[in-house]
Amino acid sequence: MLNYALLVHAAPYSHQAALSALRFAETVVAGGHRLKTVFFYHDGVHNASALMAPPQDEVHLADGWKRLHDEHGAELLVCVAAGLRRGLLDAGEANRHGSASHSVEPPFELTGVGQLVDAMLTNDRLITFAP
Amino acid sequence: MLLHLLNRSPQSPSVYRDLGEAFGAGDHLLLIEDACYAALPPSSAVLEPFAGRVSVLREDLISRGLAERVSPDIAVVDMNGFLALTETHERCVSWF
Repeated sequence: MLNYALLVHAAPYSHQAALSALRFAETVVAGGHRLKTVFFYHDGVHNASALMAPPQDEVHLADGWKRLHDEHGAELLVCVAAGLRRGLLDAGEANRHGSASHSVEPPFELTGVGQLVDAMLTNDRLITFAP
Repeated sequence: MLLHLLNRSPQSPSVYRDLGEAFGAGDHLLLIEDACYAALPPSSAVLEPFAGRVSVLREDLISRGLAERVSPDIAVVDMNGFLALTETHERCVSWF
């Protein structure tokens, strides 16, 4: 069994890469490995939007990621700097910036790139999915 | 030994050139997403530097209607094959 981390640079529904990443993540856990970390960076932070509402007959990417957390313990880390620039704020950051609402909720966590470096160093594999 | 992941169509030849310069002995190339188009016989000249060490992802071929049109010297793998390549190659580099 190997420990995997994924790095997702791609926005949902703009490019195939976010869907490729989710499909690979599901294959990792089905294959008996541990998916420890998914790090969302650049436009990939939009995968963490709690307000995502795709048509019901399409893949719901945010729910797919949440399922990997709930069923397999994958941590879902969102770059805070990339997120703030794009309006991806959790309740704490929304309060700090005086925003009336927020768009990121657990199990997605806003975090720094230090956590990405940690994921690179502590997992057996890091696979990047970019647009 | 590196696994190289490539998602660009052969309409972006510079990334294929850059990859050719970085491709080492024992490395393997997996074509995903729009890079599937490089696996078709008219385009596969861009894959000459990687001959015999190229795979293409079946799911992405099917979604583009290309499953029956792959050059015979390119291996077709499914998602489990993709996972197996990441198991056997210690590091994976994505080109995009």
